[in-house]
Amino acid sequence: MSEQIEQALSRKYDAGFYSEIESETFENGLDESVIRRISAMKNEPDWMLQWRLKAYHAWLKMDEPEWAHVDYPKIDFQEIAYYSAPKSMKDKPQSLDEVDPELLRTYEKLGIPLHEQEMLAGVAVDAVFDSVSVVTTFRSKLEEAGVIFCPISEAIQKYPELVKKYMGSVVPRSDNFYAALNSAVFTDGSFVYIPKGVRCPMELSTYFRINEQNTGQFERTLIVADEGSYVSYLEGCTAPQRDENQLHAAVVELVAMDDSQIKYSTVQNWYPGDENGKGGIYNFVTKRGLAHTNAKISWTQVETGSAVTWKYPSCILKGDNSVGEFYSVALTRGRQQADTGTKMIHIGKNTRSTIISKGISAGRSNNAYRGLVQMGPKADGARNFTECDSLLIGDQCGAHTFPYIESRNPSAIVEHEATTSKVSDDQLFLCQQRGMDAEKAVSMIVNGFCKEVFKELPMEFAVEAGKLLEISLEGSVG
Amino acid sequence: MLKINNLHASVEDKSIIHGLEMEVKPGEVHAIMGPNGAGKSTLGYVLSGRDGYEVTEGSVELDGADLLDMEVEERAQAGLFLAFQYPVEIPGVSNMEFMKESVNAIREHQGKEPLSAAEFLKKAKAAAKQVQLPLDFLKRGVNEGFSGGEKKRNEIMQMILIEPRVAILDESDSGLDVDALQVVADGVNSQRDGERSFIVVTHYQRLLDYIKPDFVHILADGKIVKSGDASLAHEVEKSGYSFLGKKYEEAEA
Amino acid sequence: MSQWLNEVIESASATSDFLAPFRKQALSSLEQAGWPGRRNEAWRFTPLTSLEKREVKHVQQAASAQPPSIEGLSAFELVFVDGKLATDTSQLATPEGVTIASFDQLDDTQKQAASEVFGQIKPARHIFGLVNDIASTQGIFIDVADGVQMDQVIRVANLVTQDVDAHTRILVRVGKGASAKIFEHAEGTVASMSTAFSEYAIAEKGHLEHYRFAMMTGQAKQIGGTHFQLGDESTLNSTVVGYGSELSRLDVDIIHAGEHADAKMNAVYLLAEGELFDLHSNIEHTVPNGTTEENARGIVGDRARAVFNGRIHIHRDAQNTLAELNNRNLLLSRRGIINTKPELEIYADDVKCAHGATVAEIDEEALFYLLTRGVNRSKALVMLNFGFIQELVNKMPDAAIRQWLLPKLNDRFAQMEVK
Repeated sequence: MSEQIEQALSRKYDAGFYSEIESETFENGLDESVIRRISAMKNEPDWMLQWRLKAYHAWLKMDEPEWAHVDYPKIDFQEIAYYSAPKSMKDKPQSLDEVDPELLRTYEKLGIPLHEQEMLAGVAVDAVFDSVSVVTTFRSKLEEAGVIFCPISEAIQKYPELVKKYMGSVVPRSDNFYAALNSAVFTDGSFVYIPKGVRCPMELSTYFRINEQNTGQFERTLIVADEGSYVSYLEGCTAPQRDENQLHAAVVELVAMDDSQIKYSTVQNWYPGDENGKGGIYNFVTKRGLAHTNAKISWTQVETGSAVTWKYPSCILKGDNSVGEFYSVALTRGRQQADTGTKMIHIGKNTRSTIISKGISAGRSNNAYRGLVQMGPKADGARNFTECDSLLIGDQCGAHTFPYIESRNPSAIVEHEATTSKVSDDQLFLCQQRGMDAEKAVSMIVNGFCKEVFKELPMEFAVEAGKLLEISLEGSVG
Repeated sequence: MLKINNLHASVEDKSIIHGLEMEVKPGEVHAIMGPNGAGKSTLGYVLSGRDGYEVTEGSVELDGADLLDMEVEERAQAGLFLAFQYPVEIPGVSNMEFMKESVNAIREHQGKEPLSAAEFLKKAKAAAKQVQLPLDFLKRGVNEGFSGGEKKRNEIMQMILIEPRVAILDESDSGLDVDALQVVADGVNSQRDGERSFIVVTHYQRLLDYIKPDFVHILADGKIVKSGDASLAHEVEKSGYSFLGKKYEEAEA
Repeated sequence: MSQWLNEVIESASATSDFLAPFRKQALSSLEQAGWPGRRNEAWRFTPLTSLEKREVKHVQQAASAQPPSIEGLSAFELVFVDGKLATDTSQLATPEGVTIASFDQLDDTQKQAASEVFGQIKPARHIFGLVNDIASTQGIFIDVADGVQMDQVIRVANLVTQDVDAHTRILVRVGKGASAKIFEHAEGTVASMSTAFSEYAIAEKGHLEHYRFAMMTGQAKQIGGTHFQLGDESTLNSTVVGYGSELSRLDVDIIHAGEHADAKMNAVYLLAEGELFDLHSNIEHTVPNGTTEENARGIVGDRARAVFNGRIHIHRDAQNTLAELNNRNLLLSRRGIINTKPELEIYADDVKCAHGATVAEIDEEALFYLLTRGVNRSKALVMLNFGFIQELVNKMPDAAIRQWLLPKLNDRFAQMEVK
């Protein structure tokens, strides 16, 4: 029976192709001059360069975190190239017609057509290829509503005041080892600003693609939702199939001003390495949102890729009545390792948070939920509810739960529950007796297990992204 | 004794009771019947002061005092008792300790001396015997692990010990077999002394064969739509709530 | 290394008894591990700064003290006073099939048996367990032979009456099909530092009823551990009671070494003033078919801090395990802190594991029920809060100990409420 389950789980990685695109790539290595060159390539103002350098010097003094339940060889940060961009991007194409057709084909192959007329209705895309943003669609339509959606490199030029004010305000430069590294060497990413009272007229999304060998991708995303505004944002990511590990260390900062709402969804499908654990992306990401009064930040993630995942999208619930949510499905197979979860920091009164985490472990993988719920002394009436469920498929994998709870307020309520279960032979037998094959049966059971999370994905993506990005197990999304 | 004037109440901004009028005089037994969702249980919660049950209009007087102005425990001390339809379990708090605390809090309010442990034990044993609960139920946690019928009998036992002015019995008959029903009814009847009043909330006429009501009220859509004597209950038993209109006829089918 | 630890090592180096080879090994492990700082996960929420610079104090004059008497308790009484076994008050008698002896009294066979327990069950990761390994010259070995059913409780009291460093050890073997009741009872309020570790090897079909009351308060620092190894079809029923003090830490390990063993553990802690109590429990299911149920409940008032870490570790082959852990806390004060972390580490798929943790106010529905019965709000809150603890205390198998404990807890709780 378990062999059938294994088969059902072993799908090939469709996004594993490499695009023949002539690129300009820095030689491997990191020192101050590399940071100066990145800054110069991006034509950055001096304040940005100084910010990067401060981060770099902080990073030099920091240690790689070792507390996560993951095991991988030490990364040599001098063996990574910190910048790579298609040569064709050098002259900054002004419209889609000027973009290298090979680049566009790459995205088409991934199911992300960048021609606006072919796109999913109501979704604007920023496509980031290695270290640069290729194109951002629907910009004029968004501009009409006053929404800014552009590569962060462009935002630094065009909206320096906004960037200066908010970059590093949620994830400080020297927050942790990987965030500091990112702050020093980030190359591109998306910037979003939703003005007061505006409901963003379409879904925004960024699609990240690592293509070149030995390059790290260090993108930085900053989303600011001004008072009373609303935005829903989705990111997707893939990389070619290679034998070497590659590093992806991103930083995402969300600022939700009073009464605003940010919904951030991730479909993470970086190359996970082969069945024996060879190759794959190290996905070491810092994501954090700051919620002011009555604001709401909702993180939804579907994590199926990467060799090693180290990621804790968090909410700082600073304003009274602010709300934080975290919905996660993490699937690990083969030799994948995931240590992921969230932090809910309750500072304001009557703040609320919900954590629903579904971990599915198969093969020889290890899947850990790690979370922190903290009730500060002023968080009167704050509440948290956490549910962590693990599903084990096979007897060679591991499922782990490490929830930290701290309360300093007598009127705050924290509830945490965790369970484990397996796809039982009985369940499989029942499905098969009713005429389903094993693959369909496993898919169905897993999908049922993840339902609470899938329903949080934006409609446009739940259907389309499911198909395009193999949102989870083959055939498990109906 | 208990006067309800034009009572309007809502739960989570949904209006459940709108314009209920009722007067209960000393020694009377009033039965409130009605279809599901008529607001029967809500009435008990509103009168006893449960959080989230908001009175939006009207007044309630108990012996001339403004009941709605009192805290939950003050209402109980003033003589209002609610026998719950689904009594909560409180593991770790012994039934005995709990009832002693309750009885003495009420006595204190009445200016009486608290009962000594021995006096209370004697009364509690007698009450347990009356409702046919084994004595070890006094030692167990409040309602902890009690069956549905045992919980109902435990409610009646508390009523006997507390000796309230007005007791509201919220579907105290639901889920009981005939023997248990007899025990509950006997418990209530033993407390009828011409002074104490009862509001018996029930879905079925059955209980009223055992506890004879002076008045029967039909509650529908949050107000009393029909009142009468005991014969009204029989009428309902025979032909259901069809007289209320098609909506209820179907609901009862 | 801290000054205190250096001194402990220095003064322990002179000992040479039958346990010397084990002590030597512990010393080298200890030197490798070093002093645990805040970045050490096991000590993350429990600062050791007050211990770091302590000067080691030796007993000048042995005091005499009696453990609190417990009405109706039929027990063999063993008493450590300020870290020394009080031979005059201790009953080192040997009923049929039972050995109760201090380390320096053991014959060769007994030494062999004791060596098979010393440091063999307690995992080496406990730094203060290693400290106890090298420094616990005072210890008791208890052996209950195969098939012997002991009705009487063996109480080992650990009393501190003066500023002293005390290191005591208990080694227990419960034979095949045997049954024993052992009660570790620590009391004391004066400034002092004690480590108290116990190891229990429960053989096939053996049964142990166990109590560990860590009731030292005030300035008495206590760091201890109780470590159980369960053989095939053995059963364990353990109750832990924790009072906080300036520094109070207890590590419990339950190791399922044999199949079909059943472990139950209930823990309650009541903390007031600036007290700290840190309970780390670790359940190791290394073989299939074991069951574990753990419930820990605590109430924290004033400026107190409760730390709970409950780990369940299901090893690769431990199929068919049933393990549950539940930790519930009440925080009564705005200056108090609760840190709880239930952990699951699972490497086998055919298991049923669950944990839950809550930090909350009392049940609103239960409060309403009490209020409708005329009970005043403040009294209702006390009843519900205490009921929360009492529910677990009521599950203690020994009625005499239970009846002694309840009013103690009640008084402690009442004092907390007043403040």
